[in-house]
Amino acid sequence: MSHQSDFGSNHDLSTEHTDLEVELLLKAVFRLSGYDFLLYNRSSITRRIENRMRISGLSTITELTNLIIHNEDYLHQILNDFSINVTEMFRNPSFFKAFRNEVIPKLREFPEIRIWHAGCATGEEVFSMAVLIEEEGLMDKTVIYATDMNEDVLEKAKNGVFPIHKMQAYTKNYQLAGGQESFSQYYKTDRQYAYFHKSLLKNIIFAQHNLVTDQSFNEFHIIICRNVLIYFTQRLQNQVHHLFHESLMNGGYLGLGDKETLRFTEIVANYNEVNGNERIYQKVK
Amino acid sequence: MKSKFKLGIRSKITFGYVIIVLALIVSAFYLNSQIRSLQEERNQIIKYDSQVLTLSNNIEKSLLEMQASKRGFIITGDEDYLENYYQATRDWEQDYNTLYSLLNGNTEQLERLAVIKSTINHWIATSGDPVIDMKREGRQEDLDEHFSVDEGRSDLVFMEQQFEEFRITESEAIYANTSGLDKQNDKIGTAITLFLILVTIVAVTSATAVSNSIIKTVKNVTNSIHRITRSEGDLGERIKVNTKDEIRDLAIATNQLLDSMENREWLQTNLAALLTKYQGIASINKLSEIFLSEITRITGATYGAFYVANKNLDETEYMKTASFSSSSQEIGRDSFKLGEGLIGQVAVRQQVFHSNNLPKDYKLIQTGLGETPPKSILIVPVKYEDKIIAVIELASLEEFEQLEIELVESVVESFGLTVNGILDRIEIVRLLNESRAMTEELQAQSEELQTQSEELQSQSEELQMQTEELTIINEQLEDRTKEAEAKSRELEKAKKELEATAGQLILSSNYKSEFLANMSHELRTPLNSILILSEMLGENDSNNLTEEQAEFAKVIHSSGKDLLALINDILDLSKVEAGKLDILFGEVNMDELPHLLEQTFSPVAKQKEIAFNIVKSSEVNDIFYTDEKRFNQILKNLLSNAFKFTEQGSVTLAINKLDEQKISADMGKLSEDWLEIAIIDTGIGISKDKHQLIFESFQQADGATVRKYGGTGLGLSISKEFSKLLGGWIDLQSEEGKGSTFTLTLPSLPNGISEVCLEKLKQAEEGHKEVAATTEVIEDTPPQAELVVHQPELDVIANLPTLNAECDIFEGKNILIVDDDNRNIFALKTALEHNGINILVAKHGLECIEIMKSNHDIDLVLMDIMMPVMDGYETMTRIRKDLQMTEIPIIAITAKAMKTDRDKCIDAGASDYISKPINLEQLFSVLRVWLVSQGSMNNDVPSI
Repeated sequence: MSHQSDFGSNHDLSTEHTDLEVELLLKAVFRLSGYDFLLYNRSSITRRIENRMRISGLSTITELTNLIIHNEDYLHQILNDFSINVTEMFRNPSFFKAFRNEVIPKLREFPEIRIWHAGCATGEEVFSMAVLIEEEGLMDKTVIYATDMNEDVLEKAKNGVFPIHKMQAYTKNYQLAGGQESFSQYYKTDRQYAYFHKSLLKNIIFAQHNLVTDQSFNEFHIIICRNVLIYFTQRLQNQVHHLFHESLMNGGYLGLGDKETLRFTEIVANYNEVNGNERIYQKVK
Repeated sequence: MKSKFKLGIRSKITFGYVIIVLALIVSAFYLNSQIRSLQEERNQIIKYDSQVLTLSNNIEKSLLEMQASKRGFIITGDEDYLENYYQATRDWEQDYNTLYSLLNGNTEQLERLAVIKSTINHWIATSGDPVIDMKREGRQEDLDEHFSVDEGRSDLVFMEQQFEEFRITESEAIYANTSGLDKQNDKIGTAITLFLILVTIVAVTSATAVSNSIIKTVKNVTNSIHRITRSEGDLGERIKVNTKDEIRDLAIATNQLLDSMENREWLQTNLAALLTKYQGIASINKLSEIFLSEITRITGATYGAFYVANKNLDETEYMKTASFSSSSQEIGRDSFKLGEGLIGQVAVRQQVFHSNNLPKDYKLIQTGLGETPPKSILIVPVKYEDKIIAVIELASLEEFEQLEIELVESVVESFGLTVNGILDRIEIVRLLNESRAMTEELQAQSEELQTQSEELQSQSEELQMQTEELTIINEQLEDRTKEAEAKSRELEKAKKELEATAGQLILSSNYKSEFLANMSHELRTPLNSILILSEMLGENDSNNLTEEQAEFAKVIHSSGKDLLALINDILDLSKVEAGKLDILFGEVNMDELPHLLEQTFSPVAKQKEIAFNIVKSSEVNDIFYTDEKRFNQILKNLLSNAFKFTEQGSVTLAINKLDEQKISADMGKLSEDWLEIAIIDTGIGISKDKHQLIFESFQQADGATVRKYGGTGLGLSISKEFSKLLGGWIDLQSEEGKGSTFTLTLPSLPNGISEVCLEKLKQAEEGHKEVAATTEVIEDTPPQAELVVHQPELDVIANLPTLNAECDIFEGKNILIVDDDNRNIFALKTALEHNGINILVAKHGLECIEIMKSNHDIDLVLMDIMMPVMDGYETMTRIRKDLQMTEIPIIAITAKAMKTDRDKCIDAGASDYISKPINLEQLFSVLRVWLVSQGSMNNDVPSI
């Protein structure tokens, strides 16, 4: 990240000062918006802030804090900066394949299935899950709760509209994830976008939910939260794991991102590893 | 241990045997003597018997010898015979004596013997010696006579008899003797039996006694051992033996074994208990705490401290990780260095230190009542791979027992491994956590980078787009500059022409306005007559018109009035346009205004059954400077307009002084006093897009309105023009169906209006409009309005004209259709060519390969699967492998197929697949996906 070194050479800030400034900024953000980033991975947050400073041509974090306090647009901007919305359809296809092969057969026995996609970002994975559930014939008894703390991305997610140039990659992911149909039967395209059929949205509920501050809102059979916890400190990760554990029914499944693991967490004793490589766990107590 | 009084098993058994042997010896001696005496007796009897018999026989024989010798002599006279005779006489005598002495004591036999002797003597006396003498003397007659008598014979027979008797008696006596012997023999037999029984009894008794004494103790021991075995691990019981023998030794040895086993067991149990206690502990502090509390409990130590090596670069320091004190106070130094103090020395020497002689200044152990120095301390190093990784110090009020020390030593042996294990584990967990955190960090960073790069890309692409746009604009500008240069010359020419024509135009415009003004004036004249006459006719005073005719007349009248109004409007407008309208600023009494307007419009209100409200703010100054005529005209226009389009509800006239805050600087320069008059109706309203339109001449909201409400549509444009002339403007806020609000804003201008003023006014109005626009947006939309502006909504983008764009994707693209079915080909070809796509056709796989070899411009392949010559799977495989064309998209067209077929397609190298029958929309969707340029993100929504 060249900008960082640029930044470093231009501004001789001691880390201590940076920490203080970052903390003040985060407190301001919390007070102004109610979004609490204090327990987020500080290095990531700091990089995001520095990135914003670079773009806006600011020399100190305090300047940015000043802007955030006095300009609502900046507050909104920094909130969007903090929420990283990197996602793709059938991201890590092997996860979806494992889910299809190892979890789906167990789900058939349930009279209803509630899935919680925590941190769904722009909805790519939610639509992937909807496609998968549809193909497995479970759509009618499934409700997918897709939540994110960022309402802007939720709005995008609700549309089910994704840039067309990503669709080749998504098609490959779909095939690798064990897709059973022509992927193209789930969407229409125009020059710029692929529009997923609204029928997929039938049983998806989009809602704003902040993992840091909000409580459990239902009991779920499945919780999917992939590549969200990496932005949290260990403490916050534990807190969120407790929230998930509380929200998961006994025998329910938890799916994490490929760089996240339950190992070494306090909660691990309550889960069985269903597929360790794909980070699929089953709650046993 | 062996007692002098010990009666061992050996002695017991020996003793038993000795008794038996003694009994045997005694009985043997006894029997032996008995048997010997019996034998002697028998021998005597036999000897006596044979002697008696021999002797008696000898006597008898001697007698017979004498007889024979006598006879021989008698017969022969040979003296030799006499020799024998005498010999026999001597023998007899001797034998008799012997026999006599032999029978000494047996009176009966002695008597018989005496009889025999006397008989013999008689014989000798009668028939022996005398006879011999007779012979010698030759006295034959005597002889003959003797023989004739033969006295001797009777003697002999008697003697024989006597002997027979003697012998019988003797044999009877012997028989009696032997039967006595037999009896004795029987007695001996009985004695043997008795001895046997006795010895058996003794043997059995002694054997029983000995074995009992042995078995009892052995059983005792066995039982004890059984009990110990049964009690499973409870080694408290000991074998008790009352005897003093080897069993006791065995018991003692066994007890010793048990003691050592119990000790071992104690060690093992405590060891195991300890081991389980610190199983699965992950923290060294917890481990040392548990260890200390356990070890002090087991050893009864009062104090304990646990130190763990902390490896620094150059020296090893031992840090206290736990301490135990029965008085639960914090004890022990926090750390020590290798070799420092006694404990440090232990760490160096790697040996257990145990001492009962403590220095007097050693830490006092505090109890509730006082302080006591500990009696014994134990410092134990914990070793792992020849390194002391921990040291434990224990102090106790009691002396440590050897066993306890042993326990501590053996615990510590494995404990080193545990401590090291935990240290390692802590290290591993730390490293793992670190690596996990790093992995997560990396992932987060990579996602951030992705976001950033996407941002950057979209930014750069935006920039690129902008640059491109700029370039294009630049090029266009260049062209235009050239054109402009050419045109400016033309313009120059035209300008002159225009100037000329402009003059003419102004002239003609004036002419037109003048003409209009004149015209309307001229029109009014005939119209007047029409109006008057038609009114008259309509009144039908003379009652000579039918009702219908009168009605016609009224229609003519009202149409005429409308026409007049129109003409007036046109006149006014043309006057304004021609600049011929005279504005006369003067005082207007605002007090009167409401009354005036009410008078004018109340009847209309009543007629239409709608409410008419006039609200006048008290802040409004009584005197307002403007052109009263035009002012009233504007209000009347607006009000009549309002009434015209209101079917029900109300029309409200609100007269207010313009809020000072709303007066901008430009407006302020014009006047301090502004009026704001709002005409609010609840009529049909005007849609937003028509707001501007209705102020244009001859315009109404739409054609239908004209038909329904009539009117020329000039009223508003005239009002607008008038308001401008008066230095103000008219605003409209309206929504279709909800009524309209026209707001007239006017300055009070006591000094009239100048050109400069008008210029200012224009600015003021524009400024006002901008403010109005922004405030409107603010009211309409939530705070993120700005953002919405920056980030166009998807729907908006989606609604962009797509027709041209569509062609962009497909235009000029080359698609190769590989299919053997002509109808399919035709259908696809037609559909695709319609979108500007160039189509190539291959009838089967082989042909497809040939085409692809020679033609490198193909953008996409549509591949049927079931084909002759070479099927789709093989074709795709060969395209990917043989031709090395890994990038070109191949869309497989499968029959409504199984999943395995689709998988086969993908495995063979298809990029995607669609099923027959082909849905054209789906086909185009897929084509767009695979034809869209991957490098381009031109059309991506700029990320925020």
